[in-house]
Amino acid sequence: MRKTYSILVGGGLLLLSATAPLWAHHAFGAEFDPNAPIRLRGKVVRLEWVNPHAWIHIEVKNKAGVSEVWMVEGGTPNTLLRRGLTRQSLTFGTELIVDGYQTKDHSLKRANGRDVTFSDGRKAFLGSSGTGAPRDGRDPNERVKKPPTSR
Amino acid sequence: MRLHIMIQFASGLAAAWAPGVAHAQAAAPTKPQASWTVPRTPDGRPDLQGNWSNATLTSFERPVGLPLVLTKAQVAQLEKVRSDTIEKLGQRSDPNRTAPPVGGDGSTGAAGNVGGYNYFWIDAGDHIAVVNGEPRSSMITNPPNGRVPPLTPAGRARQAERFKRLRQFGEYDNPENRPLAERCLMSFGSNAGPPMLPNYFYNNNYTIVQTPDHVMIMTEMVHDVRIIRLEGGERLPPNVRPWMGDSHGRWEGDTLVVETTNFHPSQLVAFTTSYNAAFFGTSDSLRIVERFTRVDEHTILYRFTVDDPATFTQLWSGELPFLAMDDLVYEYACHEANYAMSNVLSGARAEERKAASRKSARKPKP
Amino acid sequence: MHGPLNRMRLTKLLVTSALLVVVPLVAAHAQRGPIPRTASGKPDFNGIWQALGNAHYDVEPHSARGAMAWRPGPVVPVPAKEVVALGAVGAVPSGMGIVVGGQIPYTPAALVRKKENLAQWLTRDPEIKCFLPGVPRATYMPFPFQIVQSDRAFFIAYEYAGALRNIYLKDPGPPQVDSWMGQSVGAWDGDSFVVTANGFNAESWFDRAGNHHSEALKVVERYTMIGPDHIQYEATMEDPQTFTRTWTIRLPLYRHVNPDARLGQFKCVEFVEELMYGHLRKTPLKP
Repeated sequence: MRKTYSILVGGGLLLLSATAPLWAHHAFGAEFDPNAPIRLRGKVVRLEWVNPHAWIHIEVKNKAGVSEVWMVEGGTPNTLLRRGLTRQSLTFGTELIVDGYQTKDHSLKRANGRDVTFSDGRKAFLGSSGTGAPRDGRDPNERVKKPPTSR
Repeated sequence: MRLHIMIQFASGLAAAWAPGVAHAQAAAPTKPQASWTVPRTPDGRPDLQGNWSNATLTSFERPVGLPLVLTKAQVAQLEKVRSDTIEKLGQRSDPNRTAPPVGGDGSTGAAGNVGGYNYFWIDAGDHIAVVNGEPRSSMITNPPNGRVPPLTPAGRARQAERFKRLRQFGEYDNPENRPLAERCLMSFGSNAGPPMLPNYFYNNNYTIVQTPDHVMIMTEMVHDVRIIRLEGGERLPPNVRPWMGDSHGRWEGDTLVVETTNFHPSQLVAFTTSYNAAFFGTSDSLRIVERFTRVDEHTILYRFTVDDPATFTQLWSGELPFLAMDDLVYEYACHEANYAMSNVLSGARAEERKAASRKSARKPKP
Repeated sequence: MHGPLNRMRLTKLLVTSALLVVVPLVAAHAQRGPIPRTASGKPDFNGIWQALGNAHYDVEPHSARGAMAWRPGPVVPVPAKEVVALGAVGAVPSGMGIVVGGQIPYTPAALVRKKENLAQWLTRDPEIKCFLPGVPRATYMPFPFQIVQSDRAFFIAYEYAGALRNIYLKDPGPPQVDSWMGQSVGAWDGDSFVVTANGFNAESWFDRAGNHHSEALKVVERYTMIGPDHIQYEATMEDPQTFTRTWTIRLPLYRHVNPDARLGQFKCVEFVEELMYGHLRKTPLKP
């Protein structure tokens, strides 16, 4: 999602982008403030397993040492469901580290989950073992989807 | 009547046990391609039913300089770049990382300089589309250069007029100024179409159910249903223009042919495909013809033709495979939890207020 | 052939013929001919169906009432200012209800919540915001739905809000996520199609009268064709967090018999943008 990469293929340039179509469903830049970066460390208190975006609520201590709950925006849960993950895969009380940017409306404690990891740095919804790549077969808890075989 | 029912039941039972891709069944034993016969419904038609995905790495239009058919080496390189990226983005992060930089992290496109979200939410497709054994560099096959043909003067005028109408508003002024997908009216790109195209993000999934006189195609994004009537049925009058248009189908041999007209005017205005605004200048008389052919156990070959002589200087068409998906399609209720819409609008209002107060702070006091 | 003997025979013939017609009509008053069947012999539910009546206002028996949102009036309560301009269009027609036994058996706490929902209908009814209707509300919304049934699938497309249900013929296991329309698994019980649905979120209502449920809701539906153009529909609700026992609704569904009948489209999300986001416009409309 964060990278646009291109490779030279034959004589031509094939632009492969894991990022936006021209008019994306919504540009994150419309919702979040690049001048308001955040880094949160806190425990999961609620999971909204909804579309168009899942929301992970984590309880953090602010600068004054007071507890507050932040909502972290994720993607579509449908992708995770098809990889055998459910909201039970992330239990309440699990500590997460999130870096991202706050919504442009600073009255809201909401941010994009630019990088959501466990406290040891492993990606949050990638399974509990293995290199982290989806479907690498190393996570015994991850249901490996049968790839379509058209060739 | 009882005997009649028994005979129907017996033949139906035989049909139900015919080989086919039902995601609940075990895989059929592999046979040489030549002896594969298309599974059929009880009424003798090719069986298109099941869950299918059109996710792919292949782009809509052909990148300049590439032929239609890629070499094995090119395919391997492209797919490896994707799988390497997925692997890399799944690596452990630094647990002591700080917040990202003020001013943005430099990410482009939809990531919008704020980094979007982790790649594990994405399922964009990691294979080049293969049609008739050919790995394809684009979906568009006609014109032969693989690109949307030039527009007529009327088409260009419509495009310009629509842009002009859009630009009289700031892009965050009103909910109606946001893209259809952000409003949860339709998927991004053209998942439901027609034509039904992948969005290069996720949930590029479809469920097809087929009866002798109807075909139902459900698009996961945004739980959109197309019901295509196969026999009779009047076309809608010109002033009735539903989202996804009015579709009527017929069988031509073993190919399902679907013709769609009466597109919703807002779908035309915002009708963008993944990498371009191909349909942005289309007219009221846009007609899309789709062809569905089951070509093997795991593949429906999907072909589409765009027919709008008022807009394009020629008919143009493309094709891509829909691959059998051994998985569930999940509910995509979008509007019901669309926090993003209010976040975007309230964010724009917050920034305007900030700008206004900065401006008034600079004004000399009376 | 005329004469007293033949007249008696004729009378007998007429009476017998009348009985042949009347008795079947009385004995199975809804059996109006053979029901259509699929190639495999199952009842063929394909077609466009709709409920009649006013259950979508209130599934319990009720008199007509003036509005769905109220405020105190000088003599009696009057329609709330948000709805008073609708006049009779905003009124609620009477209904005999579809709840077998009349009343929904709420727990005391759930009954309190129902009354709160009723009192705060304008802000709480998910239908107002064009949210998906849930089950069984989707069945008796004042909109048609289309059943697309093959030997491999049973799919229901509702006109209202483009809601849909894919009724799985093979159980995929427990629902992995809560959803508005739940996860449905269907099986045949003779000529009845029995659907078990669960995995609901707690957001949907049963009607416009505040009747509600929790995530624990499980609905068992029975679809039985009682004639070529009629389905007898039953749904039994089980939700120990909300109800003291199970309860059942029962109503007929009527086929749209016009050969040109087709499902319309009611993608209402854009109709509620002013309601939900109008206050966030750059220049909100003046109240």
